[in-house]
Order: sequence, then structure tokens, then C-alpha cells
Amino acid sequence: MAELRLRIQRFNPTTDSKPRFEEFTVQQKEGMTVLDAILQARDYVDHSIGVRFSCRMASCGSCGMKINGHPKLACYTQIRELGTDTVTVQPMDNFPIIRDLATDLAGFFEKHREVIPHIVRSDEQEMDNPAREFVMSPEELESILQFTYCIKCGLCTSSCPTSATDSLYLGPQALAQAYRYTMDVRDEGGQERMKILDEAHGVFNCHYAGTCSAVCPKGVDPALGIQLLKRHVMSAKPPRRKGEGAKLWVGEKK
Amino acid sequence: MRETRLMQLQYATALLALVLVGLHLLMQGVLVPYGVAVSFQQLLLTYRNWVDGSLLEILLIVVLAHGFNGARTILVEWKQGKRWTSLANWGCLALALISIAYGTRTVILAVFGSAS
Repeated sequence: MAELRLRIQRFNPTTDSKPRFEEFTVQQKEGMTVLDAILQARDYVDHSIGVRFSCRMASCGSCGMKINGHPKLACYTQIRELGTDTVTVQPMDNFPIIRDLATDLAGFFEKHREVIPHIVRSDEQEMDNPAREFVMSPEELESILQFTYCIKCGLCTSSCPTSATDSLYLGPQALAQAYRYTMDVRDEGGQERMKILDEAHGVFNCHYAGTCSAVCPKGVDPALGIQLLKRHVMSAKPPRRKGEGAKLWVGEKK
Repeated sequence: MRETRLMQLQYATALLALVLVGLHLLMQGVLVPYGVAVSFQQLLLTYRNWVDGSLLEILLIVVLAHGFNGARTILVEWKQGKRWTSLANWGCLALALISIAYGTRTVILAVFGSAS
């Protein structure tokens, strides 16, 4: 089997003044992912390599990093698809580094929480003690479905040029989720959410570079969601939805 | 003012500027040859014609509002913090108003001044 030259950016903020690269030689295997290569280096050469991972199947969003300069999930990127025997891995941009390839996502999750990423109903009783189900048509589901695939890996924010300059910008992930919940026919929190989006570092700070959509490993198009969200905020009207399913309960007649 | 209103202002002034700058170029370079249009006597005539003078004044306001609102957006994105945001907002508003006042002064002097 061919050998792989793996270059890992090493940096410990508590002891190092600047990042440096270390090279490792890894034995390539059929179907090997970048995460497999990093773990091989960590398990057999240097136990101190800092890397975060969990599911190894692009579900948890833990192993986001820059691979040969592009934000990708390490567990979802095969060495073969890179077409080179030299792989350089770096931590994601626009996030503080905890150590080596592990970045601090606390601020990212805080912004996610800021946009009220859950269904809001005006009747709290109904939320706590739901008696019946809501009806949602397949068309209504389809209008938000792709945004529900977000795994909060942070790759979109890592590639976003606005997030690079504006640390208070909500970012593509949070804004796409704001769109997802605002468009949900069961949600009644749109107006509350609009106030948060209509701020100096909110939805209008997106300059539509589109890199968020280009790098999303789950095929989500945050840039689209953000542009549609801008239209809703601009018109200051409740979002136009395809149907009126939210008003219907299962078993009720139209 | 909320960001939505400022963005609406930005879009509206951009569209208006597109029309007004087009008209301005038409008047200053096509309908009247450029060399003639920028002569002192012709400029005075342009300002003193109330249609042309009003168009120039509106163009001045529209372009400055668009420019300074755009600069404000860039500044707010460039650095973060409440004080900086406040400084960028009020600073750009003040500069826009001063620039509009100075430009309007030129129009007023041309219309009502003693130059002929």
C-alpha cells in the first residue's frame, strides 16, 4: 500500500506562540478517510494530536476541519478523492483553537440558540400538554426539509467571509435555522425571531458569497435560506407558506 | 432605526441614483457636449434652471445617503462593539448631513449668488 504524507497543524494556545506543521507518514488503506489517517498518526506515532470526532459517519458534525485548504468533515472525506499523496489538515477558520485540530464551538452554539431554534407556539399549555398532532403537508415539509439536515458542524461558518471579519455576525448556520423554524407551519415565533435577525449583525450582513452552501457536507443551502429570510424581514410580514396546515388538527375538517 | 429600514433606504437610493446619474450623464455629456457643460456660465445656467438644479440637489442627497449608509455598514462589520457601532452610526449620519449641507450651499450660492 502507498504511503501518505500527512501534515497536521499543531497549536496549543497555552504554550505555543504560533501554529506549526508536523509531518506524519501513514499507510494508506482502501476506503481510508482523512479521519482514519489522523487517528492512525495519533494512535501509533503521537498520542498528543488534538482532534475531535465521534460518529465517523457524517452525522455528529464533530470532525470539521480544513483539508488541503477546504473546509470538510474528516470522516466524510476519503483520501482517494483528494487525488494526492500529501494531505494537509488544519483547524477550521473563524473559530478559536482549543488545541491542534479541535476548535471551540461554544460561541457558534450560542448564536444558534439566539435565533430561537425550536417551534414556538403562543399557547404554552398546548406546548406542554399537546392533545393532538399538527398536520403538515409533504409540500410544506419539503420547503424546509433540507435545512433540517444541518448537523451544526460549523463548516459553513468557517468558510463565511463575513464571519471572518464580524465576530458578532449570527452566521450562516444560525440564519439558516432561523429560516427553517420561521417557515415551519407549526411555528408562531416568526415575529419574535425577526427582531433578532433585524439587528446590525443579523441577516443583512450576509453578502451572498455562497461559500456556506458550497462547503456544506449535508447538501444544505444556507445562502438560499438567508436570501429568503431577508425577503421576509424586509417585507415585515409573516412568511408566506405554501399551505395553511398549521391551523388544522388531525381529524378536523377543512 | 432598524437594519431593515436602512437596507430599504440603501436599495431605494441605489435605484434612484441609477436613474439620476444616467440623466446627469445624459445632460452633461450627450445632450450638451462635455466641454460646454462644465463651463462656468453653463454651470450657472444649469443650477438656475429649477428642473436641472432640483435634479442635481436630489442626486447629491441620494448619492451621499447611499454612500454614507454603505460606509456605515462596512465600518460596523469591520470592528465590533457597542461604542464603535454607535460611533459609526452617528459619525456617518453627521458626515452625510455636513456633506449635503456643503453641497446644497454650492447650489444656493449658484442660484442666488452674485456670480453671472
